[in-house]
Parts: sequence; C-alpha cells; structure tokens
Amino acid sequence: MAGNFWQSSHCQQWLLDPSDLVRERQVDFAVVTEEDYQKLFIFFSNFIQVLGEHLKLKQQVIATATVYFKRFYARNSLKCIDPLLLAPTCILLASKVEEFGVISNNRLITTCQSVVKSKFSYAYPQEFPYRANHILECEFYLLENMDCCLVVYQPYRPLVQFVQDIGQEDLLGLSWKIVNDSLRTDISLLYPPYQIALAAMQMACVVLQKDGKNWFAEIAVDTDKIQEITRQILALYDLYKTYDEKKEIQGLLAKMPKPKSQPSRPPSSAQSQDGIQGTNDQSMGVNN
Amino acid sequence: MDYDFKVRTSVERTKVEDLFEYEGRKIGRGTYGHVYKAKRKETFATSDINKLISADQKEYALKQIEGTGLSMSACREIALLRELKHPNVINLQRVFLSHTDRKVWLLFDYAEHDLWHIIKFHRAAKANKKAVYTPKAMVKSLLYQILDGIHYLHSNWILHRDLKPANILVMGEGIERGRVKIADMGFARLFNSPLKPLADLDPVVVTFWYRAPELLLGARHYTKAIDIWAIGCIFAELLTSEPIFHCRQEDIKTSNPYHHDQLDRIFNVMGFPHDKDWEDIKKMPEHPTLLKDFKRNNYQTCSLMKYMDRYKIKADTKAFHLLSKLLMMDPTKRFTSEAAMADPYFQEDPLPTSDVFAGCPIPYPKREFLSDEEQDDKSDSSKQQQQQQQQQQQHASQSGSSNHSHGHHPQHPVQQNNMQGGMHPNYSNHPGHPQQQSHPQQNNSFNQRF
Ligand SMILES: Nc1ncnc2c1ncn2[C@@H]1O[C@H](COP(=O)(O)OP(=O)(O)OP(=O)(O)O)[C@@H](O)[C@H]1O
Ligand SMILES: [Mg+2]
Repeated sequence: MAGNFWQSSHCQQWLLDPSDLVRERQVDFAVVTEEDYQKLFIFFSNFIQVLGEHLKLKQQVIATATVYFKRFYARNSLKCIDPLLLAPTCILLASKVEEFGVISNNRLITTCQSVVKSKFSYAYPQEFPYRANHILECEFYLLENMDCCLVVYQPYRPLVQFVQDIGQEDLLGLSWKIVNDSLRTDISLLYPPYQIALAAMQMACVVLQKDGKNWFAEIAVDTDKIQEITRQILALYDLYKTYDEKKEIQGLLAKMPKPKSQPSRPPSSAQSQDGIQGTNDQSMGVNN
Repeated sequence: MDYDFKVRTSVERTKVEDLFEYEGRKIGRGTYGHVYKAKRKETFATSDINKLISADQKEYALKQIEGTGLSMSACREIALLRELKHPNVINLQRVFLSHTDRKVWLLFDYAEHDLWHIIKFHRAAKANKKAVYTPKAMVKSLLYQILDGIHYLHSNWILHRDLKPANILVMGEGIERGRVKIADMGFARLFNSPLKPLADLDPVVVTFWYRAPELLLGARHYTKAIDIWAIGCIFAELLTSEPIFHCRQEDIKTSNPYHHDQLDRIFNVMGFPHDKDWEDIKKMPEHPTLLKDFKRNNYQTCSLMKYMDRYKIKADTKAFHLLSKLLMMDPTKRFTSEAAMADPYFQEDPLPTSDVFAGCPIPYPKREFLSDEEQDDKSDSSKQQQQQQQQQQQHASQSGSSNHSHGHHPQHPVQQNNMQGGMHPNYSNHPGHPQQQSHPQQNNSFNQRF
C-alpha cells in the first residue's frame, strides 16, 4: 500500500488529536498518574519489542504490533484487557498482516513464557499466565476495536528515501534507532510517518554534526510538527535519565487498573443501560 | 479480559444474523468461503419500537470465511480491502466478527454476474449454434475495466495473483449496471519489498490455466507481469469463449510448481520460445527440466496467430495485437496495465463503455441459490473437494483454531473439482516451507538503556 498514505485508514481514522488521548485516558488517570501511565507503556513497548525479536520478526512487524497496542488503549482503559495479554495478540495479528508467515500458537505462547522468565522476571515473577485460547479471543476484540484498520504506515520506508535523497547514507543507522525509540511514545498515534522520519533524521543530523539545513529548508514541511515530535522524543530520553524501570515497575504494575472477571454490577442492568446508547443498527442486540 | 468490557461490547456489537437475511441463499462456495446473497432485515428504531424502518432493498454479497478465527488470508483480505477504493475493485462494506462461533463475515456489494458465467453462457450458445461470439464491444469494455482495476492495485503495490474469470464480477441492473468489479483478494498481497520470498508463504497461487510460464518454470517471486498474463488469458477466453490454455487437470500430483502438461499446452498455442524471445528463460529454476522434457521441433508449426485465426481473430486486428502483448512469454516484455490501457485497441470504434452491456438488455441468467443437497453431494468429486477444502482450511487457519497440530501442512495436493462444472480450473495445494530470517541489527535503540 505504498504511496497511498493520504487515502489510508491510518491517515483518515488513526491520526489522533492529543486532546482525544487525554480525554480517553481520564479513567486510567484517576488511578495512575500521567507519568506512571507513560512508564507502563514504555514497559509494554519493550515487551513487544523483545517478544518480536525472540520470534525473529522484522522491525516493521514489531512496529506495527506496537501501533496496534497503542490504538487499542487509545480507545479503551487499561482495565479492559490486560496489556500482558494484548501485547502478544498484537504481535500475532501484525505478523499475519505483514505477511511474515503464521506464528503457531504454541510457538507464541512458549516464547511469551520464556521471555517473561528470562527477561522480565523483575516485573513478573510468576509464569506467563495466558494460553492460546485467550490470545485468539483477544484477537477478535483487538480487530474490532481498531475498526478493522490493519495496514499501518511506518516511518522506515520514507526514512530510507529521505536519507538517500539528502545523500548522507550514514544518517540511516542513527535515525532508524531514533524511530525505534519513538515507538515508546504516543508519536505514532499523532503524526504521519513521514514527519516522524524527518524528525528522527534531523535529530541524527544534530548528533552526528551533519549539515542538513539546506535540504530541510527546501522540502516543504511543517516545521512546528517536526519540533513537537523532536520534543517528545527528547522528553523520553530525559525521563530515562532518572527512571529505573527494574526498581519501579512492580509497583506500577500493581497500581495499574486491572480487568475483573466478575461483574461489577448485575449484568442485566449493565445490559440495558449500555444498550440505550446503541444506534439503530445495534438495537437488535438488546432484545429486552 | 474484563467482564464488564465483554458485556458492554457484546451488547453494542451488531450481529450479522440480526441485520441480514441470508439463510438458504447461498450463491457461491469458493476455496476460502461461502458466499450468500443477503438483504437487510427489517429493523426497529430504538427510539420508537412501533415505527418500522423499511429495510433497504439493496442486495449484498455476504461471505462467510471458511474455518474459524482469523486465518492469514482472512487477515490479508480484510487489511487490503479496508484500504482499497476504486470503481473496478469490489468494495468491502463491513466486517462482522461473530465471537460465539469465531466466524468472520465480509459484506460486499452484490454483483449479479461474473465472467465465468458469462463465458459459460456464450459457450452454450455456441454449442447450440445460436448467437456465436461474445459481443466485440463488450469484450473491449470488460478488458478495459479489468485493466483499470488492476492498474489501481498495481500502482498501490498490490498483486492480485488469482485472476481468473470467476473472480471478475460484473454488476447487474442498478446504478452501477455493467461495471466490472475485481473480487477475491484473499491472495492479494503487498509486494513492495516483501518480507520473505512470496513462494514460501502461500503455496496456492494462480489457477493453472491462467498461470504465467515463469511461474510454471519455478519463478520464486511474483510480479505484476503474472497478473497481466492472466488478463491476457481472460481476454483470449472472452474473444473465443474457450480457455486458451485449457489443460487436463488429472495429473497434478506434485508440490512442484513445474507442470508439464500445462507448459505443453502453452507451447501448443504459442510455439516454443526462442532464446532471443526470452533470454532469461535459462535462469529459470526448472529450465533444465524444460530442456529434458520438451523438444522445440514438436511445436514448430504453432503460433498464437494460427490459434486465434481458428476463431476468426485475424492477426492484423488491434485486438490480436494487444493480446499478443499481454501474452508475451518473456515477463519483462509483457505489457504493463498502463501500456495496455493506452493501446490503440481502446481508441478504435467501438469505444469502451462504463456499462459493459452498453445499455442493451442483459441476456445472462441471475445467480441461482445452491441447494443444501448440492453442497452435501456425495459424489467423489465433491468429496475430494471437501477433503481439499479441509486441508486448505487447516493450512490457512492454522493460527485460527487451537485444536490441530501446528506446522503440519498437507503433503499431497488433492484435485479439486468445482461443482459448478468442468470449466472451473483446479488448484494444487502444496506445503510452503517458511524459513525464518533474522534481522538483528534493525531492532536496536539509539538510547542504549532501552
Ligand atoms: N460481491 C459478490 N457478488 C456476487 N457474487 C459473489 C460476490 N463475491 C463472490 N461471489 C460469488 O461467490 C464465489 C466465491 O467467492 P470468492 O471468489 O470471493 O471466494 P473464494 O473462496 O476466494 O473463491 P476461489 O478461491 O475459488 O476463487 C464467486 O466465484 C462468485 O460466484
Ligand atoms: Mg473466487
């Protein structure tokens, strides 16, 4: 689907406004602070990254899985689905869409178990609790909540093009890594991938002391947006200066809003209350 | 997963059976699903239970994807169709996920006709010595719209890979009367820098009759040119009402892409390619087998010109000229969809029309409902078909249902006879051998602490 970003579901439905995010997160912010919330997302982005690497997935697939993960929680509270369950589900769905070949359920679960044990025991001392049927159930919810928008545009392809265009191929390595880091922020929900690529490239220019000014001046681009992206990535690096995940994460996970397997109110009243908000199409489901 | 979340979403979720009437209205059974002709049920408005909303009378095609859960091909079909918008590509209206039985339903606009039925109609007419060939103007309009749709797909870096008459739909009466809709994108995939060789991934590709020679010679990567070859085959079939590379299907036994009889058929029509016509043929994986099995001398007298001449398509016509460009043996010399659309054939009278029937009455019968007996037919062919479908289902949805062993692929392709009749080509199904590749350097972070 290259070259068609402007007509894509990504562009038309999934470039959100920062205020959308704040509004949707109010439920969670009542339980954890904004900073805690961010730290939790850094943790789970890392989890997806490590899981993907253990499954030998390409970075493109991992990035897509991470965006799926963020899209779900951009519309839902952390309490709706345990992120530890949603993370491997995103990996599974992304690997099917990005045509990597199907990861078998067994392999996915076994990898989750071994990754949790070997890499994340500081956060989860217990075993990975989910089985294949949990993931398959979860996959339907994920797809439904993303409104079946599965094609995600990533900054990697435009990045490669820009680097070639500017004629400084040695920028690629560093800017690629910065793009990877941007997955730990909300950036992929807020900005089109080409802007993220440009911001990463500009940051790489600064770090490597390359002069890209003329090139950046020539391409017509919204510099305010590039600055916003840069600021968010720098904020991430700042946060990391004082944040010790190994120490804090168990506390954060304990605080995190969690799913309840029991109704919090009688199901009959829950049904009729929620049903009223439905549209015409949904009325048949109420059946009362 | 949260209990309240489940309850809330299940209340909000629209069920396909609440919204659509489709029972007993099955119109198609493909390899990857059942297709029903559906119409909206009458629904009540929430605000006023007494007020009936009269259901919209539009017809839809509702496809229940074979198997349970989200197979890879289902995922890809949803992912791509969700993004595509072109008048000549079938439009996905909506997806229904049925959580209880884990079925996936896709809702499309309903297309009354397809080229498989249209060609069948003309073939029958020809056999009865009635109106002979498909109207020339209609063939041109059909081809133009097929090319238009494929050009859209190709310029979005999507290959169809399963082009054949049954997958080219044509709209019946209504505002889109006589418009081509390319359907069945289950196999379609992005091919811009594929993450792995496509041949490894999805062993079931283009039906043999419409398979390009490079595929039969073991080409590992699919190209736009493979779709163009299939369009050339469809064009010829529209002109003559006969599948140009018709071939017995009985001896498809191997998981090998190499298929002797199909190649023999192609050479019998086209002649054996000279080295200068197709220089890279030497690089094809199965080239040694080709040299061993075939003798150029046996095809000395064959040519596309002779073949088409038998059907009164003369070599000096623009139609023939375009056909020969679409059916170039060398994929690098084959026309692109863009070049084909600019061909003089389309500038010559009669010009292509957006209603391929050009306002004339449509002689083709409407789709019939398939009865249940027909589906459960106990004949050998249908058993074989079911067997194959189960195997493919297993192959395609191995991630979708948890109860069968993984990593198991069907080892022996089983012949599939389509119940609609002998003209439907068969598939061979053979195991893929996914090879995982690692790309360790790509995953690093700049900040070493991640
Ligand atoms: N939109 C539609 N309108 C009317 N009929 C349709 C529509 N889509 C599909 N059909 C009918 O259903 C049949 C099967 O659909 P489709 O080709 O999408 O499924 P499939 O399982 O991928 O089939 P195959 O792989 O055998 O081509 C078609 O050949 C056609 O006859
Ligand atoms: Mg089909």
